[in-house]
Amino acid sequence: MASLRTFHRIVLPAQINARGLLEFLALIGQPITTDDVLLDFSGLQRIYPAGITALVAIIKHWERSGRRVHFDGLQQCSITAYLQRLEVLSACGIAMPEEFRRFESTAKFVPVQQIGVDVTGLGNAMASCVAPGGDDMDQPLSGLYDLVWYVVTEMANNVRQHSGGIGFASAQVTRAEGFVRLALADNGKGILRSFQDVGLPWSRDMTDAAAIRKAIEPRVSSKGSPTNEGVGLTLVTEMARQAKSWLLIVSGRGVLTLSPDKNIECRELHGGANYPGTLVAVTFLQTVVQDFAALLTAAKVEAGLLHRHNPTTRFER
Amino acid sequence: MKHELSISAEFGPQLAEGALAARFREQQIEPYLPLCEQVVLDFTHVRNANSSFINALIVGTIEEHGETVLTKLVFKGCNSVVRVLVESAIELGLEKAKRIDA
Repeated sequence: MASLRTFHRIVLPAQINARGLLEFLALIGQPITTDDVLLDFSGLQRIYPAGITALVAIIKHWERSGRRVHFDGLQQCSITAYLQRLEVLSACGIAMPEEFRRFESTAKFVPVQQIGVDVTGLGNAMASCVAPGGDDMDQPLSGLYDLVWYVVTEMANNVRQHSGGIGFASAQVTRAEGFVRLALADNGKGILRSFQDVGLPWSRDMTDAAAIRKAIEPRVSSKGSPTNEGVGLTLVTEMARQAKSWLLIVSGRGVLTLSPDKNIECRELHGGANYPGTLVAVTFLQTVVQDFAALLTAAKVEAGLLHRHNPTTRFER
Repeated sequence: MKHELSISAEFGPQLAEGALAARFREQQIEPYLPLCEQVVLDFTHVRNANSSFINALIVGTIEEHGETVLTKLVFKGCNSVVRVLVESAIELGLEKAKRIDA
C-alpha cells in the first residue's frame, strides 16, 4: 500500500519586495514537522534579491536537514523565466526547459551565486554588474563600484567565518527608480548563536534582535584578531546610514531595519518565526556615492573607528 | 636596510581576505622588523581593499610592537580608500597596544 505523504505547503506571496519580505520570511520561518516541504510558486509575481537569497538558503537548509523539497506552480508562475535567468531554479536543483533567449545581465541583475572561497571574485562580479565600468577610477560609477565591492566582500567574509552554513548572494538594479539592491543570506547558526558559541557572557540571555543590535556596534566579534576586529557589519551599517540607504538584517527571530531617515528599529519576525541563518540586504540609490573614500571616512569617524591622523605614520606617494 | 613589499604583486589589485593578510604579516612583515630600518608596504596598483584585510595586515603588528614600530613602517602608494583604511587600522592597533600596556 502506498504511504500517504504529508506536505508542509508554503504558498509564496505575490510580492516578495520591500513590503512583502518580512511576511515571506515569517512564512518560511515557521516550524516544519513534516519530511516534505512543498513550495507553491503559482502566485509569485515579483521577488527582490533579499527574497531570492533567503529562499535559496532556506531550501538548502531544509535539504541539509533531510527534508524533501517539492516545487509546484512553476508553469503558472508569471516570472518563471526571470527565476531561470537569475539561476534561482538551477540553484534549487530544478531543471526546466528555457523558453527564452538569454541576454546580457550587466547593469540589470546578478544571478544568485553561492558564496565560496573567492570572495574577491564575488565582489568583483557583483560590483561590475551593478556599476559597469566602475572598476576604472575615472568613470562616474567608480564610487558605486567601490561601495558594492566593499559591502559584498565584508559580508561574504562574515558568512564564511561565522555562519558555519552556506551563503548566497544576488543583486538587482532597477533603472527606472535608480535603485541598487544587494542581498547576502546564509543558512548558518545566526548572529546570536555565534556569540553564544564562543562564550561571550553578555550574550547568554540575549534575544536575536538584541544580538543584531550588538553586532553593529564597533569591535564586537565572535572571532577576534588577527582576522576579525568586529568592524565589518558596523561599517556596512554606518555606510548605509551615511548614504541614506535602507538596510535590513534578519537573524533567527530578530529583525533590524535602518531607513533613509537614519532611524534604526529592532523587532521580531511575526508569528514566532525563525529564519535559520542571517540575511543582510541593502538598497541604495545608484547616484548616491560620488566619492567612496569620503563615505568610508565619514562612516569610520561616525562609528568611532577614526579620530585623528597619527603624525608618526609615514605615507609616501 | 630597507625591506620593500609590493602588496599588489602578492595579492593583486583587490584586497579582501583577512586570513591571507594575517599570514602575510606573520611571514613577510614580522620577521623583517628586527632586521630592517624600514619596512615599506607598497600599495601601488591596489584598487580596492576592505577593513578585514587591512586590519589583519596592520593592527597586530602595532598591537605587538607599540607606537615605535611606526618609525619603521612606511605606507607607500596608497589611494584615498586604502589610506583611510590604513589610518583606521593604525588607530585600532595603537588602542590595543595601550590596553596591553595598561
